[in-house]
Amino acid sequence: MANQNATHGESHVAHHFVDSEQQLDSSKLGMWLFLVTEVLFFGGLFVAYIVYRAWNPELFYMSAKELSTTLGAINTVVLIGSSLTIALAVRAAQLNQRALLSRYLIVTILLACVFLVIKYFEYTSKFAVGILPGEFYTYEGIDHPGAPIFFSIYYMMTGLHGLHVIIGIGLMVYLVVKARAGTYTAAYYTPVEVTALYWHLVDLIWIFLFPLLYLIE
Amino acid sequence: MAAASKDLKIREFPVEENPTEHYLNAGKGLKSWLFTVDHKRIGLMYLASIILFFFVGGMLALALRIELWEPARTFMDADTYNRVFTLHGAIMVFLFIIPSIPAALGNFFLPMMLGAKDVAFPRLNLLSFWIYSIGALFTLYSIAYGGVDTGWTFYTPYSTSTGTAVISMTLGVFIMGFSSILTGINFIVTIHKMRAPGQTWGKLPLFLWSLYATSIIQVLATPNLAITFLLLILESTLGVGIFDPALGGDPVLYQHFFWFYSHPAVYIMIVPAFGIISEVISTFSKKTIFGYWLIALSSLAIAFIGFLVWGHHMFVSGQSELSTVIFSFLTFFVGIPTGIKILNWIATMYKGSIDLKTPMIYALMFLFLFSIGGFTGIMLGALSVNVHLHDTYYVVAHFHYVMMGGTVFAFLAGIHYWWPKMTGKMYNELWAKIASVILFIGFNVTFLPQFVMGSQGMPRRYYSYIEQFQTLHQTSTVGSWILGVGFIIVGIYLAISLFSKNNRASSNPWGARALEWMTTSPPAHHNFNHTPVVLHNPYDFHKPISEFRLGIDGSDGHHSSEDVSTPKEVGDKV
Amino acid sequence: MSGHHIISLKYLLGAATALVVLTIITVGASFIEIPRPFDLIVALSLAFGKATVVAAIFMGLIWDKKINTMALLFSLLFFIIMIGITLLDTLYRDVPFWIYS
Repeated sequence: MANQNATHGESHVAHHFVDSEQQLDSSKLGMWLFLVTEVLFFGGLFVAYIVYRAWNPELFYMSAKELSTTLGAINTVVLIGSSLTIALAVRAAQLNQRALLSRYLIVTILLACVFLVIKYFEYTSKFAVGILPGEFYTYEGIDHPGAPIFFSIYYMMTGLHGLHVIIGIGLMVYLVVKARAGTYTAAYYTPVEVTALYWHLVDLIWIFLFPLLYLIE
Repeated sequence: MAAASKDLKIREFPVEENPTEHYLNAGKGLKSWLFTVDHKRIGLMYLASIILFFFVGGMLALALRIELWEPARTFMDADTYNRVFTLHGAIMVFLFIIPSIPAALGNFFLPMMLGAKDVAFPRLNLLSFWIYSIGALFTLYSIAYGGVDTGWTFYTPYSTSTGTAVISMTLGVFIMGFSSILTGINFIVTIHKMRAPGQTWGKLPLFLWSLYATSIIQVLATPNLAITFLLLILESTLGVGIFDPALGGDPVLYQHFFWFYSHPAVYIMIVPAFGIISEVISTFSKKTIFGYWLIALSSLAIAFIGFLVWGHHMFVSGQSELSTVIFSFLTFFVGIPTGIKILNWIATMYKGSIDLKTPMIYALMFLFLFSIGGFTGIMLGALSVNVHLHDTYYVVAHFHYVMMGGTVFAFLAGIHYWWPKMTGKMYNELWAKIASVILFIGFNVTFLPQFVMGSQGMPRRYYSYIEQFQTLHQTSTVGSWILGVGFIIVGIYLAISLFSKNNRASSNPWGARALEWMTTSPPAHHNFNHTPVVLHNPYDFHKPISEFRLGIDGSDGHHSSEDVSTPKEVGDKV
Repeated sequence: MSGHHIISLKYLLGAATALVVLTIITVGASFIEIPRPFDLIVALSLAFGKATVVAAIFMGLIWDKKINTMALLFSLLFFIIMIGITLLDTLYRDVPFWIYS
């Protein structure tokens, strides 16, 4: 470890890379491959969704009515906004605008928190009437023998998505701390770039969750 | 594609024999191992861990075979038996065979074969080892907590109602899945972005093609295992009911989820073995590999087809008749790329100067055993035959021929092939040959009778059996002891070779042509002290070996400030 | 070089506007009575449209190395394989195969 980077002009290029171009390209490909695993990870839940929806179309139409389209739509717009701000944060890093970089990151974090707060109110209003996952389901408003299955899938999909939002917030807080310390420059902003990719994926998943869970008429 | 630019001077870099400084003495103490980012040391730590778990799993297997000596109880009760075979399966699959070749030998040799200094993400590589260790701890905790009695497949609804340590066990496997994913991502990126100047895709060693195919499967299939076990854990803790008919769920869906990972996973286990066999057979036949592109691309074809056939594990599960027919049909396609490989290996040996060193002996045994495993697999893929043979010892014998006769024998070939490079020491060739023969005999005595038993209707996983099977069971048990003796001999002579003084290995004892042989044994801390340049295919045995030791003149391999622009021009390959 | 492409403000703001407009259309379409299979097709087409905008512009795939786009498409392909083949079972559980009937 001792002799790494010793004679390098660009200090952020690790010893086994030729230059920063190769390093950034590698990191981005690595992140994209990770996103592939994320897509297939959520994919399992989408498969469950499709299988059960094909079996119980009526149940899904009835259950989706319990969810608030307004709150879902607001959250969609919030996430789109956060995707825009983190893309702007990457741009700021590329243009060496350090103050702007941390400001955009903070706005993104705030938007992510708004998303979670709205999600919290949605969850608690469902819990209050006994719409809980699986065997704890006690709600009687839906007259269907398989009634719990829609909300089990709903909670797992949105719960897993929410977990990704929380992880994203953690990553961005780390980025803000580092950005304040002046770590990221136009020559080195790989962590910002790959975190942004991750965050866009969180947005992408929600883009599919919203019509599939909230907008079934 | 890179072409060496005109103003670059390429020259031969002779390899130093008996180096005084290498990766093994580059740092001292436990910390220099546990927190290393050197892919070679991480590879060795993986190797040590998987050998440990192979030992544990092997001991469990011996216990199972002893218990089956008598038709009823021999020395353990039925509940213990269930736990022991579950642990044998889970440990061998998740802790030994999936990480075996890629994480141990792959980690060690992938960057070296590319002429790179390390994998693309060295710290992620270390993290992957630690995640594997944490997952292994969960498994050990499950054993201490009383074990699991579901079989390694954890089928619902039994797994959500048994009350044994299913949650901690599946959580352990869930965690190890991340380790597998990170290794896969690391390998794909490294192969894409870090090949030596001049090393085009057509000059990639076939071991790397097989690791590339394996990594693709790891990246695409493993997330599905994660979600499957997450759902299983949520099912047993929160009762989400996704696999529970009482709550509107469907237990067969669990099997779809599970096998969507676990069938491609058998190719995670076997495809790297194909890579080792390609290297070994070409090297010890001293002949250009026959059908380079066919072998390379058939690995990718196997990886792809492997995703289409998972339902052949579910022929009697109650899935629709339509899907059983389609799955059976698609299953036969796996035989095509596999057959292509076998044909190419045999054609490579044809008229070659075959040198029967230990790795080559193991490779030949692989061809024999894997072919039996493959052909019986074709039989099991046939729908009507499968219904008769489903869940019998025939299936057990089939996958042991593929997994043990295939992967473990190829793994042994790989260990013996690369042992001098990894350790700088040579093992005792005579004892190695003796052990290989003992293993081969022991393996066949153990598993051939199981084909017979299975076709006569002996079900797998049963604690007791009718007396007509006793002779066959006892033969199989004796075979397992022969296997045990064989592995003990391997362990002893490899350990002795480490501590002997007069057995320093040369840098290229087999006269191979791939890049990992063009550096010292054991390799330097950063693999090469120059930037290697590749002109030829790694199997061009008709070309002088000096043309395989080329490097950029004046480069010290660290790209220090004065030469950082020169490799950049050449390094534009990506 | 492609790795360091800076996306212009015009594209970023345009993409965000397009996404909001598409969201409004998605919600609006759900209030119109569209016969059963088609309501899902409309909703999913709009979702795919939005996803393409995010991936192409926000994630910069247009300007990036093609291998990254391929990775994303591969994840989609394997998801389709998984759901497609699973549906061959779940949709036809009670249907005897034609050879047997």
